[in-house]
Amino acid sequence: MDKILKYGLFIWLTAVICFAIIAPIPAVGSMGERARILYFHVPTAWVSTVAFIMALFYGAQYIRKRDILYDYKAASSAALGLIFAVLATVTGAIWAKFEWGAFWNWDPRQTSIFVLILVYGAYFALRSAVESEDQRAKLSSVYSILAGITVPFFVFIFPRIVDSLHPDPIVNSSGKVKMNTSMLLVFLSSLAGFTGLFVWMLNLRIRLSKLALKEDRA
Amino acid sequence: MEFLEQYSNYIVLAVTLITWAGIFFYMYSIDKKLKNIEEEK
Repeated sequence: MDKILKYGLFIWLTAVICFAIIAPIPAVGSMGERARILYFHVPTAWVSTVAFIMALFYGAQYIRKRDILYDYKAASSAALGLIFAVLATVTGAIWAKFEWGAFWNWDPRQTSIFVLILVYGAYFALRSAVESEDQRAKLSSVYSILAGITVPFFVFIFPRIVDSLHPDPIVNSSGKVKMNTSMLLVFLSSLAGFTGLFVWMLNLRIRLSKLALKEDRA
Repeated sequence: MEFLEQYSNYIVLAVTLITWAGIFFYMYSIDKKLKNIEEEK
């Protein structure tokens, strides 16, 4: 069953990649073929948001139950969130180079994700600065809760309250998805595939943390 | 150059698929190793 799921994910994402790059897309504004980045850029941003919210959840669980494993789970989730946030920034910057003329423009979207990366970079700086395991877990759990609260602000609110060159987000103020059916299908499949990949990555990291914890206690 | 322009989508596809396959099999091997260690303990 486990094996089937993994190979299923492989086939799923392989199909998504093929459709995303080869399937014809309608003209989206002035973007043309460049609009294909949407199939990779948005899912990475989505996964980073999910990961940061999960880090908040695990941080709160640690505060409630004082089980060190939750601290490891929070750190694993935040680490993956950070990686996906960097990927979203890089894919966004590549697109910006061809659409806006420069890799970096301090657009509200770019600024907000940059601040988010700094916030979670500070989380790992904090973790590495505290030697005592309990103290580290307490401090970083509180920090992950506070940082998690800022995520919806930086991802959903800030870029919408100031003028931005960023294309209308999928969940936009008009409440309509401006995408044709075939594009939407590939996009949603990509979103599901990336989420599955994140779940698997998180599972690997948590299992690794469990083994390290066992080793420490032995 | 003309070749690159004409088949750019397919080149991107090949690079992306190779990268994805690399990531997948790397993760799969880590998963397998972890399973072995978990069974040992």
